[in-house]
Amino acid sequence: MAKPPEPIEDVIPNAQWVVDAEVTEVIATGSQPQKVEAKPGATSTGQKTAAQTVKLKVKRVLHGEQVSELTVEKPEAGYALAKGNHGPFLIDSTKTILGRYGPDSYSFERIEAALASKR
Amino acid sequence: MPVSINDRRLSTLYTSYERSSKPIGKDQALEILSHLGDSARWGQAKLADQLKKPGMTPEQQIALAKDGITANEKKDLETILDKGGVPLEAGARAFLEQVLGRTPSPVNPTPNPAAVTANGISVNGGQANGLSGTTKAGATIEAINISTAPGGRLHMDDTMVIGKADANGNFDKVNLTGEQKLREGDLVRMRARYADGTTSDWVTVKATGIEAKDGRNAVVALFRIGAADAGNGKIDVSNINASRQVSEPGAKLQFTNNRTGEKAQVTITAEGGFPAGFQLNGKAGDSFAVAASDGTNNTAFTETVGNVTVPGGTPGNVDLVPDPALHKDELDSAGKPKFNKVRFTGPLFIDGPKADDVRQGQIGNCYFPAAMAAIAKANPDAITNMVKDNGDGTYTVTFKEKDWATGRSKDVPVKVDGDLYARSYGGALYGHSTNSSDPKKMELWFPLVEKAYAQWKGSYDTIGNGGHVSDVFEDVLGVDASYMSLGYGGVDKVWNQIVSNVDANKAVGAGTYGEDREALYTNSGVYANHAYSILGYEKSGTERFVVLRNPWGESEPAGNGANDGVFKLKLEDFTKLYQSLYFQN
Repeated sequence: MAKPPEPIEDVIPNAQWVVDAEVTEVIATGSQPQKVEAKPGATSTGQKTAAQTVKLKVKRVLHGEQVSELTVEKPEAGYALAKGNHGPFLIDSTKTILGRYGPDSYSFERIEAALASKR
Repeated sequence: MPVSINDRRLSTLYTSYERSSKPIGKDQALEILSHLGDSARWGQAKLADQLKKPGMTPEQQIALAKDGITANEKKDLETILDKGGVPLEAGARAFLEQVLGRTPSPVNPTPNPAAVTANGISVNGGQANGLSGTTKAGATIEAINISTAPGGRLHMDDTMVIGKADANGNFDKVNLTGEQKLREGDLVRMRARYADGTTSDWVTVKATGIEAKDGRNAVVALFRIGAADAGNGKIDVSNINASRQVSEPGAKLQFTNNRTGEKAQVTITAEGGFPAGFQLNGKAGDSFAVAASDGTNNTAFTETVGNVTVPGGTPGNVDLVPDPALHKDELDSAGKPKFNKVRFTGPLFIDGPKADDVRQGQIGNCYFPAAMAAIAKANPDAITNMVKDNGDGTYTVTFKEKDWATGRSKDVPVKVDGDLYARSYGGALYGHSTNSSDPKKMELWFPLVEKAYAQWKGSYDTIGNGGHVSDVFEDVLGVDASYMSLGYGGVDKVWNQIVSNVDANKAVGAGTYGEDREALYTNSGVYANHAYSILGYEKSGTERFVVLRNPWGESEPAGNGANDGVFKLKLEDFTKLYQSLYFQN
């Protein structure tokens, strides 16, 4: 995608959970989205990767109900997850990962500041 | 109005056709194909040679072009065929239609169009070879093209004499010329003037049989549209010179209130103006985007011809210069903008242009801020020279456009004002700089250059769906720029290119892989399908590092100090994570 992550102010209100977690398993991968045609070397073409269902081992819950494990959906997006990927995951009520780049969307520091201002 | 073609070189070629005033024939169609079908395998010049090779059948030429054409290039070809202002010869049109897989339309879909008659004159149907018909013997034939007239200073009666009826009262294949030359679908107003000075009644003919399609939309004389605050939330809209046309009779104009997003349509009267009492909802200071359709072209009113502003209101409400439209992602399902504009009045430069001034907004144009930050680092004077404050709330940004025939660049000045799309809670939506949430403090050069680029290319949507860093180097600096695929060169070759560019103060950038390798990037601090500026290089013993900057102005691999988007990578890691190197030659 190469757009910056959405402003966290737009995302936090939809997060039912904010967790520090690690991907322990990629359970399923959807079909590849349609290929975006672009000239060689072009960037920001909007190409997306397939949706995935992944299992997260939760190390810490920053916001939401206490859980130790979550099975969540990574939507079609400009990033992909693999076993071992880790970081802050914002997850909505449908158990879909929020943020344009999943765990690489926002730093813990920024998330904690946004949660603090929400309270 | 010039059509918007995304491929820069094709756009330049098409502009040369527009200037030549000649129809596009088979040779020009092959030239167009060579720009559309070029690829890594077939460069444009090589493809042009191949397409013109003796013995190539049209089927082979089409197959060759189809092999290299991208979705965006298909859109460019559709634009040329459906919206282009240069007429196409029937054979050339049919040939290019086949490249798109479309069935060529018959040149004259109406075999025997009916004659149009008024008291004293009858005009035959079908104008493939000009205007023919009957009137009184010896009468002169007067005509005006009322599809093109609104753009000029013409009354609807400002006819030209285009021919004379013979002794039997027949006139045959007479033609309008110059700017009034007939195109498919044009409306021509005609009458006969008899020997005694009296005239026939007027007759209006819609031209058919000239081209396969009506490719010219209704012209709008924006400068004749008067808008006045009527109070009670209404705006009176009128033709300020009722004896001249606003647009062609029967055309529909759509007005979109830029403040509220509300749309209203009106049909132009037979006199070329507005129906009596026509009003819009709005208030003093509102501006309205105006779009036109002749019923065939621009029927979705997606292309606007400009803005009309209602005098009065607070100065901040007056749109000084029409603004480029939002990216389609920022329109709701009804086509209404989700964001309003805010006037930014901060300084153009604070301590001159710097890479750190550049922040990509919520738009898929990373190639643009990455290129601008690279130029700000390598050649800040180029930016200082390209943006001028006009002192009246407007700014002129001058880009460069290469004439591929002469090899020389010409200036393309684009005027913009400080109105930027903004979030409801503050901050510019698209490209911005530090202090974005304060309209009086944000440094303006980068968002204004981006806005002018959107204006030049068509809209934020036109520039917001991917592109090439090298193209921006060319458009800003007027130089040749290239890109190198890092998968095919050794690390030394890459290193030498970076070092030579940085040492010569020439702009350089890099792009990551965008397909099938996204998993490579998660947790790396580098993002897929993304463009970066290269700000420099470092050496430490035998290790070599590339210094990069994320155009977001943040988000970088861990261990690189403050989160400002600037980081360094070992050369070997750089060549693994990055696919392309873009550099000023």
